[in-house]
Amino acid sequence: MKKQWLKYLDRQAPRYTSYPSALRFDGSVDAALYSEKLRAVDLYEPLSIYVHIPFCRQLCWYCGCNMRVENNYDRVRAYVDALLDEICIVGGVVGGKGRIANVHFGGGTPNILVADDLACILDAIERELGLTDDARLAIELDPRLMRKGDARMLAELGFDRMSLGVQDFDIGVQWAINRMQRFEMVAECVSDMREAGVDDISFDLLYGLPKQTPQSFSDAIDKAISLAPDRFAVFGYAHLPRMIPRQRMICDDELPGVEMRAELAALADERLAAAGYLQIGFDHYARPGNALAAAMGEGRLHRNFQGFTDDVAETTIGFGASAISFVHGVYAQNDKDIGDYQRKIAARTLPVARGIMRTARDERCAAAITRLLCDFETDLGAMFELTPEAEQRRIDQALAALERDDVIRRRGAVLRINDGARSLCRVVAASIDPWAHTAQKATRETAKAV
Amino acid sequence: MAAIVETDQLSSRTGGARVGLCDICDIRGVSICQEFGPREMAQAESTMARRAVARKHAIMSEGEPNDSLFVVVDGSFLLSKYLEDGRRQVTGFIFKGDLMGVRPTDKSAYTAEALEDSLVCTFSHHYLNEVATSAPGVKDRLIARGQTEYHRAQDHIVLLGKKTADERVRSFFMLLAKSVGTDPGDGRIEAPLSMSRQDIADYLGLRLETLSRALATLKKIGFIEAISRNHVVMNI
Ligand code: SF4
Repeated sequence: MKKQWLKYLDRQAPRYTSYPSALRFDGSVDAALYSEKLRAVDLYEPLSIYVHIPFCRQLCWYCGCNMRVENNYDRVRAYVDALLDEICIVGGVVGGKGRIANVHFGGGTPNILVADDLACILDAIERELGLTDDARLAIELDPRLMRKGDARMLAELGFDRMSLGVQDFDIGVQWAINRMQRFEMVAECVSDMREAGVDDISFDLLYGLPKQTPQSFSDAIDKAISLAPDRFAVFGYAHLPRMIPRQRMICDDELPGVEMRAELAALADERLAAAGYLQIGFDHYARPGNALAAAMGEGRLHRNFQGFTDDVAETTIGFGASAISFVHGVYAQNDKDIGDYQRKIAARTLPVARGIMRTARDERCAAAITRLLCDFETDLGAMFELTPEAEQRRIDQALAALERDDVIRRRGAVLRINDGARSLCRVVAASIDPWAHTAQKATRETAKAV
Repeated sequence: MAAIVETDQLSSRTGGARVGLCDICDIRGVSICQEFGPREMAQAESTMARRAVARKHAIMSEGEPNDSLFVVVDGSFLLSKYLEDGRRQVTGFIFKGDLMGVRPTDKSAYTAEALEDSLVCTFSHHYLNEVATSAPGVKDRLIARGQTEYHRAQDHIVLLGKKTADERVRSFFMLLAKSVGTDPGDGRIEAPLSMSRQDIADYLGLRLETLSRALATLKKIGFIEAISRNHVVMNI
């Protein structure tokens, strides 16, 4: 990392899993507007479905997700009932139109659900929205809850993409984040999945965790590589104890500093590249034969709420507390509070709490930023057409500074991130994002850019 | 069009009592040709071609131009289109007596592929427009006689709106009965099944396993009496 780049490491930048970022969501999107958009879904429009399961057995202290520790399955079951009702309400509005390309179960911990409940949810989706065998079914899994036979059960339900929350293998780090999972446990999980025929296994790793050192993290990466998953997602831990009280369990002084964070991130880059993984966007890695790598090769890489994806369906329908939908230019987010969510469902209303409607200008910013993050290159021409001059000047200045620091090269409206500087691409994205300054204050949605 | 294996252009012969293909056509009564008077019929025969389309071959391809109207004399077709994500969407089935290509186009919105060895009569829209100048409205009446790809698209919207898998599958078989069912005289209805289970599942927006379960249910309640890979007997 070049010396002049160090100053960027501490910058806050949105994660850009949506544009506009969820920070700008407000009450302007309600159930009425959302259902109007749902009604307009085309007969064969590709759809992506997201199902949020906001329960975990135990709290990880780094967690920034919308989740609740729940050990009473009756309450989980009540939530599943609400989900089924929500799917039914939405299905009634959509009226059989659309064609599902992907279903993603995220959390929380989706594998807290028993097989029957997962099957019920899939059946409801099939009944209400249509589900065919060529749809891809993905699920996030906590290896600590995977029992013998679970992988097979999930594969039989149709799940063909599984991602495991690995984070780190170092015992000291695991203690410091309250997430103990032995290497052998994860290894067994992977071998069960392979035996069940799953050929798309992903590991999530986290850097910037307490007690992590380059040595410990490099060991963890090597161990992870030895299990040969098909892809990796390597995220930087966002420590925001003021916003997220549960993170106060993590001692500030055990956290690696910004420079070490950058070193840890670079380590992951290096190790995974050496092991033959291709870098996808700025935080995903995939084996050359994997669908994600193919999408990147063909310029079809996209970004959605789950990160980088080969999913081309622009329209996403989210189910569950805090789930975000995106339908024809409108983001709609459900109530975050599980109780509020369930009450609205019980009243047979769509539980939309907030959202935003994209303007034509947002649309162009979104496209420019997506291409930048996916391809490390973007053309600002279309975006500038709708950008007021003063704003353009501000962007030009910011980009000139980045160019001086060797982060980017710019030729006219086309801008390219220099090879060594890819980890700074969210900083670059923020510099062309007219709204990024409103997001500069540290919140859940923004985090250290590296 | 490589897909068409055999072209049987009928030359108009003059004089003599001849039997044209149309005279022995068993869908003529229900089809487009009913609208033609003798003079038009003779003209039609001279400009019409009857083509055999081998199974799995396309007679119209998505994105390609088409300026022929097709009347399915025998066999059946699967209509499909590619979605942005590269998957194929089954959008409908075209049966014996149905019409396809009712509007000339530079870019067909779908592909029509023969599900079995089939026979179609093809009329050029150019010719039909000519006929229409001497017999106004004839083209519309022709088209109004049969089920067209537009009717089939409408069928699909209705089917996909059904709220249970059993209902969707049942409606599909009703459609099949209406389109190609025959009553052997005992109140039951028999129909050929030229499409695969996978085609049916895709069409109905169901997983194969769900289709199988629904078929089992319909059998249990007696709606379906017997079903094999390519044949079904129903009690409707
Ligand atoms: S498993 Fe995930 S969602 Fe659950 S507590 Fe841990 S980090 Fe949070």
